[in-house]
Amino acid sequence: MWMVMLKEIKELLRDRKTLFFMIALPILVFPLLIGIAIFFMSKAVDKAENKVLNYAVIGAQYAPALAEQLSASEMFNEVLINVDDDIKAYVKAEKADFVLVIPDNFSDDALASGQIKLQLYLNDAGLNMVRKRLDKIVEGFAQASKTKAFASLGLNEEQQVALMDPIVIEKVDVADKRENWGEKIGGMIPYFIFMLCLQGAMIPATDLGAGEKERGTLETLLISPIERHHLVLGKFLTIAFAGVTSALITVSSMAVWGMVLSQGMAFKVVAEFMSAIGAIDFILMFFMLVPVVAIFSAVLLSLSIYARSFKEAQGYMTPLVFAVIIPVIFATLPGVELKGGWAWVPLTNVALAIKELIKGTMDYFQLVAIFSSTALIAAGLLFFCVYWFNKEKVLFR
Amino acid sequence: MIDISQLAKKFAVENPKKLSEQEKKDPRLKGRFFHSVENVSFHCSSGEVLGLLGPNGAGKTTTLRMLSTALTPDAGDIIIDGTNVVKTPVLARKMIGFLSGSTGLYGRLTGRENIAYFGQLHGMSAEQIDRKITELADLLDLHSFLDRRCENFSTGMKQKTAIARAVVHDPKVVILDEPTTGLDIMAAQTVLNFIKGLKDKGVPVIFSTHHLDEVSELCDRVTVIHHGKTHFSDTFEAFKAQSDGSLHKAFMRIIEQGAK
Repeated sequence: MWMVMLKEIKELLRDRKTLFFMIALPILVFPLLIGIAIFFMSKAVDKAENKVLNYAVIGAQYAPALAEQLSASEMFNEVLINVDDDIKAYVKAEKADFVLVIPDNFSDDALASGQIKLQLYLNDAGLNMVRKRLDKIVEGFAQASKTKAFASLGLNEEQQVALMDPIVIEKVDVADKRENWGEKIGGMIPYFIFMLCLQGAMIPATDLGAGEKERGTLETLLISPIERHHLVLGKFLTIAFAGVTSALITVSSMAVWGMVLSQGMAFKVVAEFMSAIGAIDFILMFFMLVPVVAIFSAVLLSLSIYARSFKEAQGYMTPLVFAVIIPVIFATLPGVELKGGWAWVPLTNVALAIKELIKGTMDYFQLVAIFSSTALIAAGLLFFCVYWFNKEKVLFR
Repeated sequence: MIDISQLAKKFAVENPKKLSEQEKKDPRLKGRFFHSVENVSFHCSSGEVLGLLGPNGAGKTTTLRMLSTALTPDAGDIIIDGTNVVKTPVLARKMIGFLSGSTGLYGRLTGRENIAYFGQLHGMSAEQIDRKITELADLLDLHSFLDRRCENFSTGMKQKTAIARAVVHDPKVVILDEPTTGLDIMAAQTVLNFIKGLKDKGVPVIFSTHHLDEVSELCDRVTVIHHGKTHFSDTFEAFKAQSDGSLHKAFMRIIEQGAK
């Protein structure tokens, strides 16, 4: 069994394609892609921030001070619009980035004029800074109007504050930071890890089953004097090992790159969060993953040995990704908790358990039940795999 | 010494509609089963080489796969030196060296590693494997490429490595499925010389082939199978005597006689 495993690992390590997908991709390519995406995004934001916006005002005569501030701003450039122009068409034709319509009741006396409604015409589909900049200027006028109104009513400061927000709800969160964060991201972590394990195991699995068939080495291997279950176990362990390694590499690469990119800033938050979780919970999480990876490996190996070629194997494995995604996505849905029926859904229960472990609210007795049931499924699938490896119909298709 | 008696193997036909016209006419198709091998018997003693002949689809590969324990026969017996292959396949595997027609190597391992891996699977020690590989490399002329990765090997190099791998554990019987198909003349000759070497050592060899000149060069016994049945199994001389002079005519005659 170990002989088979050692040889398979040796072969895997010599395969550039596998190495690329297992190591280069998570360590270099993904961060690079994410980095490029962030770079272009920040560039787009930069561009939007520095862009001088063309604008037109209708009814400037009702608010000369506002109009003057707008035209004085370096970030705005006024264009002229005819009063009888259709404003929507005007903005759509990109003659101006926005058109502001000032009503005739504009004044600094809110008590007399009532609420003033400025109309802003803009194409809000893209990234733009119109509201942000406009709010800044308009806020000044609104504040002045407020102050004046409060003064004329003779209100003291406390009354002013009360009038602005007569009733406020103050939230006292009894969940500690860990539980709070755990609820928010705890669902995503098992999702990522499951997917990574599955992806990492997939390529070696194709190679170890269908690959042997396609290269014509399977027959020779089958007639060597090694018990069939040893052969299956050797291959199974290799696939599981590859899955876990690939997941670990990806996770640690994400951690390292995250640290590098945020220059240690985010690290403090992460470290705080991580240190709250504690070693035992980490180990438990890892243990929970063991039967899950075993399930993946057994299913992948069974599919792979059934396939006649690489291509066929890949065809069989694609639907498996969906079959895994769905139960794990359930665990990320709000309201799905480790109670009642959900505790008995395979994979979902493990994902939920990992989430609970991250949150620090795990019932450890339940963990034993989940672990055993998942391990039972894994063992069942492994038995099936061995049985499958003994079927002539499967091996010589 | 290897004795095969009344071997039979049938395969379930999953979708009878998909079969070709020729397959539908084959007398071996019975209901939902295709009786690939119905009744094959032959024997081969120590120091003998047996040539297994038959048209394509006659059941040669299925027969050899049963001999190699890759397939389990539905009926019949295979006895090698008193060991029942059908009943104790794992034990028998240690006695058999098998080279399948479509065999391949692990491309990312070197020739030496490929051979050594199977030596390990046969439970040999590192020292034994080393010694055996050197011996086989001398015999099969492997030295020039033994430590290179197999993915770049030529067909001849691959076949020689595959043969070395098949006999690394000193099997008591060697079974080769079309060992010279697709090889150039030089490589084919190396393979034939190797078979001769085995014969001289007293190891019985069973090999299937379509080349009658190989049969006349090597074989002591000839077995002809057609439509899954043994049509002829006797000495080479008896085979030759089926027709005066031409081996091809002898072969054709046996097939025609069987069809009647």
